[in-house]
Amino acid sequence: MATFALSEPVFLVLLSLAEEPRHGYSILKDVESISGGRVQLSTGTLYGALQRLLDQGWIERIEEDAAPRDRRTYKLTSLGRKNLQMEIVRMRDLTKLAGLRTARKEA
Amino acid sequence: MRSLYQRLLRLYPAVYRQEFGEEMQCVFLQAQAERSIAPLMKRAKFCARELMGLFSGAVQAQLRLLFGVDDWLRLRRFNMRPEFRFPRSTVFLMCVILAAVVLAIHKAKSVVVINEGLRSETVTIWDPLFWLCPLGAVLAVVGAVWGILFALRRTGLHRLDRAQTWPEQK
Repeated sequence: MATFALSEPVFLVLLSLAEEPRHGYSILKDVESISGGRVQLSTGTLYGALQRLLDQGWIERIEEDAAPRDRRTYKLTSLGRKNLQMEIVRMRDLTKLAGLRTARKEA
Repeated sequence: MRSLYQRLLRLYPAVYRQEFGEEMQCVFLQAQAERSIAPLMKRAKFCARELMGLFSGAVQAQLRLLFGVDDWLRLRRFNMRPEFRFPRSTVFLMCVILAAVVLAIHKAKSVVVINEGLRSETVTIWDPLFWLCPLGAVLAVVGAVWGILFALRRTGLHRLDRAQTWPEQK
């Protein structure tokens, strides 16, 4: 169950990590890419979201002894993946309903 | 820009800086290096976005540390649990109603003074107390509402929705 509202940046960060574990800069680039350049996160926004997601247990850090501090990698936990899937289902239902309603209006 | 970024980073709580500070700075430098050959307008937008993001992030981190409240700046709704939300419009309406009641009481008192004294001159109502009373009342109401919501949250009411009292269907 989602314990805080999923904003678009948080959703995109989760979506980015759903594919593979990534480090901070890679998440920034991927979010920009999957949103078609529409969403460009600042580092403040990104790390605010990452901290909340870490606190909630939706993502976790991959501890690597050899990795420098600026290349710490984050990955989605099973809880995070489950919540992301729930959000996707909710959005799918919403778009389906939106499609039906707009089609009915046009007819 | 780098030194300004470092200075703004000091606005974050020390715990946060220790955990993410160095990492944030490195990511920022990578992003800045990538835009070094971009047009001036794009670079200016990038700088403005970074500074704004850093500033709002610092404020949110400080408030989270002080009050333990997540998404403090996102005041669209007071989220208690997904099924129970306290709309901001209700708080606003409550404040307006209370201010109206205080105003009505104050005006009524002014009328009593005129009638009892049988004076013909107009009694001024633009004294400082007239403005301080509603303002104080509004602040008191906002504080009381926040207190109730905080108390409800402390009771763990919002965790009830996670409790499952029936077996999962397969």
